[in-house]
Amino acid sequence: MDQQIILDALFSAIAAIGFSAISRLPRRAYLYCAVIAALGHSLRFLLMSPDGTGMHIFLATLIASCFIGLLAVFLSPLARTPAEACFFPSLLPMIPGIYAYMTFGGLALCILSDSQEAYNFYYYQFSHNGFICIAILTGMVVGATLPVFMFKKISFQATR
Amino acid sequence: MMASECKVMERQHDITQVPSGKEVCLFLAEYGSWLLGCGATCIRLEKNMQRIAATYGKRMELTISPRHIHVSVLDDSGSDTVTTIASVKATGVSFNLNTMLSQLSWEVADRKLGFREARERLREITRSDSQNKWVVLLLVTLANASFCHLFGGDLPAMAVVGAATLAGYYLKQLLLEHRVDIRVVVLACAFVSSVLGASCHLFSLGTTPAVAIGTSILYLVPGIPFLNSFSDVLYRYYICAFSRFMDAVVLTACLSAGLCAGMALMRVGMF
Repeated sequence: MDQQIILDALFSAIAAIGFSAISRLPRRAYLYCAVIAALGHSLRFLLMSPDGTGMHIFLATLIASCFIGLLAVFLSPLARTPAEACFFPSLLPMIPGIYAYMTFGGLALCILSDSQEAYNFYYYQFSHNGFICIAILTGMVVGATLPVFMFKKISFQATR
Repeated sequence: MMASECKVMERQHDITQVPSGKEVCLFLAEYGSWLLGCGATCIRLEKNMQRIAATYGKRMELTISPRHIHVSVLDDSGSDTVTTIASVKATGVSFNLNTMLSQLSWEVADRKLGFREARERLREITRSDSQNKWVVLLLVTLANASFCHLFGGDLPAMAVVGAATLAGYYLKQLLLEHRVDIRVVVLACAFVSSVLGASCHLFSLGTTPAVAIGTSILYLVPGIPFLNSFSDVLYRYYICAFSRFMDAVVLTACLSAGLCAGMALMRVGMF
């Protein structure tokens, strides 16, 4: 399990650096984003792991996102970037990509299905994956944005 | 007189000279159009602009609509009011620009940067935001391959996702250089990446072909508009929040259409 956590942290950090480049972050902030992503994603991994607390993906994502938001607020003055610039690339490794993929696939096959049985199956796939996807996205956004809202003074003076 | 002395005198003159309401209004409109264009939240935009206006002894009222900002600058006495509307600059998301523009507002407020100097700094900042596109391409490729691992993909899936991302993101850079509409760009890139991402399925590489195709398009997810729209809701900028949310939804729909077309072409089943 230790090895899994280390690998999870490593790949999250690489993903965060790539997404820092896409969103044109100042280079000095790349390292901060990598650290925040590694810690945040490892926390979610631990929370969801059966050997850990075995928490549902929605709750685990909400808690990990809040942790990422807090880290971003308190590290952004060191990186001298806005807090949201620090948490965005760090949040991306938690995007529910596979759920989104299954949702759209379910929808497409639902439309193309030619029997009631097939339709019901694909509709279930569409709605089940879609609800989980929306819940996770909401949890991510709410969790990460609330610390910025709560610690306005630190967040808005990070570039001072 | 030495050139450095001339510069110091010029700066002192610049600091002591109070800019007119019209000058401040035009400066703020340009500043705001860049800041909103690079993906700043509405609350940051308003706070930064208020900070600059207050330093130059003015009051400011701001209306933010999805594609324009409407700035009114008032003298403290309220006798002189100037209003202007500026179109938001289509710069694409850039936290580097966002950071430098935010720093400029603090330089004006804390270091009492003169008005002329602030205008020059704004021009410099908007010209200096460049990136090495090959480095970005490499980092995005590695990032998406790492994503594949995080979603449970094996090594062949990671390699295929890396290749699909490399091709897709390169296409995105090319099309954006030719000023193609972003919705068309997202659709085309999702199609190309999903077709290449289906290689695992086609050639029976590894044991996680579904993860490969699902993660091959994740670099196109419009995360920043989604996050910014929620931030705007928190601070009650509902019109902007809705506009950003709709932008994100439209881009997600284009992404999905490209993905479905790619999967249909490759005859990849999902369940």
